[in-house]
Amino acid sequence: MRVVIAEDLVLLRDGLTRLLRDNEIEVAAAVSDGEALVREVIAQKPDLAIVDIRLPPSFQDEGLRAALEARRRAPGVAVLVVSQYVEHTYAQELLADGRGGVGYLLKDRIMHVADFLEAVRRVAGGGTALDPDVVAQLFSRRREDGPLERLTPREREVLSLMAEGRSNAGIAEALVLTVGAVEKHVQSILSKLDLPQSTGDHRRVLAVLAYLQEAG
Amino acid sequence: MEAMIRTLVDPGTYKRLAYLLTALVVGPVWFSALVTLWSLCAGLIVTPFVIPAVIVLAYMTRGFGALEAAIARDLLDVAADTPAAAPSRPGFWRWLRGQFGPSFWRAQAYLLIRWFVGFPIAVVVITALGVSLGSLTAPLWVPFVHGGAQLGIWRPHTFLQSLVGVPLGLFLLPLSVLIAQALALPFGPAASSLLRADVDAVPAAVSEGIARRRPALSPGQALEVHAAADAVLIGLPVVIWALTSQGYFWPIWVALPLATALAIHAWFVVLADEPSIVDHFRGSRMLAASSGIGAALAAFLIMVWAITGHGYFWPMWAMLGIAIVLGIEFVFVLLLGPDRAELTERIETLETTRAGAVDAQETELRRIERDLHDGAQARLVALGMSLGMAEQKLAEDPERAGELLAEARLGAEHALRELRDLARGIHPPVLGDRGLGAALDSLASTSPLRVAVSVHVVPRPAPAVESAAYFVAAEALANATKHARAREVDIKIDRVADLLELEVRDNGRGGANPNGSGLQGLRRRVEALDGTLSVISPRGGPTTIRAQLPCG
Repeated sequence: MRVVIAEDLVLLRDGLTRLLRDNEIEVAAAVSDGEALVREVIAQKPDLAIVDIRLPPSFQDEGLRAALEARRRAPGVAVLVVSQYVEHTYAQELLADGRGGVGYLLKDRIMHVADFLEAVRRVAGGGTALDPDVVAQLFSRRREDGPLERLTPREREVLSLMAEGRSNAGIAEALVLTVGAVEKHVQSILSKLDLPQSTGDHRRVLAVLAYLQEAG
Repeated sequence: MEAMIRTLVDPGTYKRLAYLLTALVVGPVWFSALVTLWSLCAGLIVTPFVIPAVIVLAYMTRGFGALEAAIARDLLDVAADTPAAAPSRPGFWRWLRGQFGPSFWRAQAYLLIRWFVGFPIAVVVITALGVSLGSLTAPLWVPFVHGGAQLGIWRPHTFLQSLVGVPLGLFLLPLSVLIAQALALPFGPAASSLLRADVDAVPAAVSEGIARRRPALSPGQALEVHAAADAVLIGLPVVIWALTSQGYFWPIWVALPLATALAIHAWFVVLADEPSIVDHFRGSRMLAASSGIGAALAAFLIMVWAITGHGYFWPMWAMLGIAIVLGIEFVFVLLLGPDRAELTERIETLETTRAGAVDAQETELRRIERDLHDGAQARLVALGMSLGMAEQKLAEDPERAGELLAEARLGAEHALRELRDLARGIHPPVLGDRGLGAALDSLASTSPLRVAVSVHVVPRPAPAVESAAYFVAAEALANATKHARAREVDIKIDRVADLLELEVRDNGRGGANPNGSGLQGLRRRVEALDGTLSVISPRGGPTTIRAQLPCG
């Protein structure tokens, strides 16, 4: 797998490069601003771009805009946006084009190396990785009498992990359940919430997120 | 009937009677002292001696007010307070101005009420009580009075005749007690609302903020009220003069000072209504005001001269003084430009709000330092220790080393979370990136309450304005959650031309303290941007917090 990194802080850029290389992921380029990112993505055609949301010169959402621009100009390249803070507004903007291969994580998650690498591989493979904090923000908007209240606590846990973009196998591993048990929970959730039984993981994420958005 | 008896045996009834009767003593004292001092101040107004005179006036008013507050507390059981001035910032003139804050004028009003209303009531009450008691005890003393005694409308001469007085007294005494104590009732609210200390400068700004929105009286109406009050105050002595001796027309001495004050008031109203008049005074509002005051005083003195039998034209000396003062002022206006008064006022406002902003910033920085010290820094130290121990154990006990490393990572996560919350508290990144709407949406999504956000702010205002509006909303939301026990909160922000208007309304139990550190900090922040903040939070709720921020 080949990735391009855009991160302006040298300490973090080098650390991330080392972490990825140690795990047999090729870092094709590591740049420090949005313009360079777009340029490198077009030139290198990597599998994935890992982008810090705050980049020079404005230090606002430069990275997010560069990532969206790169995806527009080089379709097929997955992007994983990392940040010191997460906002569901940004998640919506990233997911807006409806295509897979997007991720949005807190930088904290990099410390859980195994989980982080799993998310990197998932996004590069066309899946989704949404930070648990974003999902929690969406969940907190639910109404007291809404349909989410009809779910069992276990089902809500499964729904959160679905919203994060995990596959059934991933959910089974996280909750220490069998894949069969997870499948049963998923069926139950989808029917309770009247969601379509889609096959693709990313479509399932979009459906769940759209549902949470509505419920809010 | 039962209620009447209950009132008659209630000690409060007799306390109220005692209160009414105190007016017999304090009423005349207050009135004569105040009239003397005000006349002194008026007489000295063109000389420097007016300053000690007004200081004495202020201290005397506050001293009388303190005594009255004690009387009202003891006898009327109301929460009256010494009318103390607000603590002022250093500087003699600021201090002097503070002495004439709202509490001074309220105390003045109360002292005058004690004379104009309290004293006549007291006279009536003591007469009624005297007649009742006299009738009741008539058989005991009438027989010994030569030629009988006048008791109200009848005049008993003998013991037998005076026996009629006993039932009459038995009827009159409770009746006069009941009526008299009821007359004292309105004085309770009057005392508690008029005898109060000036709150410190900050809540004054709140009430000012509200007052600016909804003035109780327009300047024109205030002038009408003033004129009506003067008509009564002059009419009364004229009626008394007509009913009594007539002869020398002494009420002129009441009418003249009141008319002078009314003329000055009218001049100020005219100046406010017709700003073009100021142009005739080289654009200086202050010169225009002083010219009016000077003319009124000169007219006053000429009238006094005319009434007191002409003779030597002594008012010319005072008029010369007035002319010199006006002349000096005119020279100042010529030299320094017309807007000096307004500029001075503006500078004072800026000084106050800047000091407030600096204070608020200082407090904020200290809070951040403390949070860093107790939070993230402490966590990083603990993390370093875990790492050091893990390093030590690596060779001999790899399992324990693994545990320590996991601990260290957990510590790092906590530190990051704390730093993130701290950063959000200083300036939420999404506010800069996406503006008020997205930032407040994000805030609402982390709130346990049901929050409706409506933001219409196009074009985006300056970052400082956005930030102030955000933190007003955030603090209001936090208060609604923590203190007001609200379930729903409405946040509305609109941009109307060059004004950002914010309103946060909850459905909680109200009673917010506008002097709480949170709201005070916000007010300073808002005032530093020339905005206003008002908190309306009656006990029982709901609480509405409004802010207006200029964003031109």
